[in-house]
Amino acid sequence: MTSQISRRGLLKTAALSSATLAMPRIALAADGFVNVYTGSDSNISDFWTNVILPGFRAVNADAKVRVVDAGDGAGLRAIADRAMAALGTSNDPQVDLFEAYTPDQTAGSIDAGLWVNFAEANVDGWGRVNPAAKQTDFDLPYRGSQVLLAYDATRVSAEDAPKTWDEMTAWIHANPGQFIYNRPDKGGSGGNFVRRAIHEANGRDPMKFTLANYSDAYAAETLPGAWGILNALAPSLYEGGSYSSGNTQSIQLLAQGVVTMTPVWSDQVLQALNMGVLPETTGLVQLQDLALCGGFSRITVPTNASHQDVAMQLVNYVLSEEVQSKIITELGGFPGVSWDHVDAALREKYKDVIPASIPTFPGGDWDAAINDGWYRYVAPGISRG
Amino acid sequence: MTTLASPDRSIRKGGQAKRHGRGLTGLLLVSAPVMLLGWLIIYPIFNAIGRTLFVKGDAGVRFGFDSYHQFLTDGYSLSNLWLTLWVTAVCAALLMATCLPLALYLRFAKSRVAALVQGLALFPMFVPSVILAYALIRTIGPNGAVDLVLNAVGLPKINSPYLTPWGPIIGLVWDNIPLTTLMLVAGLGGVSDNAVEAARDAGARHFALLRHIILPQIGNAMLVVLSFTVLSIFSAFTLPYVLGPASPEMMGPFMQRTFSQVLDTRMAVTQAVITFIICAGFGAFYVRSIAKNREARR
Repeated sequence: MTSQISRRGLLKTAALSSATLAMPRIALAADGFVNVYTGSDSNISDFWTNVILPGFRAVNADAKVRVVDAGDGAGLRAIADRAMAALGTSNDPQVDLFEAYTPDQTAGSIDAGLWVNFAEANVDGWGRVNPAAKQTDFDLPYRGSQVLLAYDATRVSAEDAPKTWDEMTAWIHANPGQFIYNRPDKGGSGGNFVRRAIHEANGRDPMKFTLANYSDAYAAETLPGAWGILNALAPSLYEGGSYSSGNTQSIQLLAQGVVTMTPVWSDQVLQALNMGVLPETTGLVQLQDLALCGGFSRITVPTNASHQDVAMQLVNYVLSEEVQSKIITELGGFPGVSWDHVDAALREKYKDVIPASIPTFPGGDWDAAINDGWYRYVAPGISRG
Repeated sequence: MTTLASPDRSIRKGGQAKRHGRGLTGLLLVSAPVMLLGWLIIYPIFNAIGRTLFVKGDAGVRFGFDSYHQFLTDGYSLSNLWLTLWVTAVCAALLMATCLPLALYLRFAKSRVAALVQGLALFPMFVPSVILAYALIRTIGPNGAVDLVLNAVGLPKINSPYLTPWGPIIGLVWDNIPLTTLMLVAGLGGVSDNAVEAARDAGARHFALLRHIILPQIGNAMLVVLSFTVLSIFSAFTLPYVLGPASPEMMGPFMQRTFSQVLDTRMAVTQAVITFIICAGFGAFYVRSIAKNREARR
């Protein structure tokens, strides 16, 4: 009997002590850490942890910054929803900065005043930001990347590498099974390839698509042409119309010599080349009639962030010449500021690859329409049913 | 060491012990998981069904089956559902075909090799499916290890299952071998050596032994195995996502994409409810077989 009581007592104490142990964990959110949420690949969160944050100590030695990986865009959206729900209440949204998020992904958030207006917020670097990259005043493009075609130079010579969409189409048909692009929702390299087809079907005019001009009717008018173009390519793609499930998988197929050509992100392919995943004999080419789309990653800061002051210091630091130059050298990306505001030596070194302009495609409602349309009208294909 | 000692007898004893007293303690112990079940599973189910049936519009709340109608008349969604059912059926058949012989061997073999085979059969349990997916790409994927070996001996390459429905099937079968084998071995534990030996003495061949002595006794276990594998394969995500074709998609990736990419939450929930109803059917099989088992033992 006594042993039983003491066992119960023990259980009770154990339960109590574990509850008290759990308490400081629950309260961790208010522990003074500045939370930076990212949905990007690990090369980006590594860049923040290993490059940006150590450098930031020179600006603010006391700030404790934590980089949290939200997984993907949907993960970030959930965190943004939490911030939106906390708006107007005294609750801490537990997020101070989004590494790559756009305000349009949370419906009504701009009107509700969820995001810091960078144009009015006295951000030193706002004037240096590349005007072509700006979308709204509530998101701050801080790094860019473009999609290129990567090819096996042992099988295609640099002169024969396609320079226009038509040359590329001809090459794909002449070399059946040697080209693959990934599903547009699973990674930007395939996604922007599909968007380039949309440009092709609409007179190669990126200005025709804006964040604001989406409507179901306009999409029904502009997108089917692209589905036709992509369906025509399908029989000559890898396995008669297979699509890899992400940026990395496309690079893997190129690395294994399964395909000869695939669209890739510039930063990712440069990293793959540096790490030896892709051989030295990998060629890169950009279409000259209209480049494949690129994209900028945009920082957003919620107005109800509990460490907004530190978040804004961080924003200023990220736009500094120091970090922007490292985005080129360490990340293989493009700066978010105009090229005049990066290290002069770098500007000289990269002057041949600096794109005059990177066409971009708006996100928002277009994303859903393009991705779902592609799955319905292109992915099923003809040969694979 | 009485030869008639069957596992049933000890269970009957345990059952009687439970019935005598301690009822309240039992209820208290079971209340925590039941409450968790109610909160985290039962409530979300009804919440989900409600969200698909009732829509908040400008003119108040509206009731309708339109999202189900939309799903059932949409050829694209239906082909995804058929693919999922087909993959599940093929996987279940392949699992039975590989795991039953394996389980029979593990049950009746007494050699040291059996321990090694058991270790190998359980190995997939400790491999996360993402790792498995990438390993499969490197082995049976295009220009993978198998192709390299075949090429070295002058044979043609294999027709790689990567990015076809057979990719996830191979992965899912591999992934589910341990659990299926374990459950079948447990079921075979109920088959007494004596019954088998008696049948052998009476001149039963291997096949007759299997058909008349073993299978009738493990029918229940096989039903449980089938419902378990169907449930886990039906809701598979990682392997179809990485190894499968872009279209048709299995329900797991399809639901995720509808939810997070198409941003059509109501349709995503509708897909989930339909998936759930099909899985609940198999779940009912399992519950029924367990209940029948209890009844038989009483």
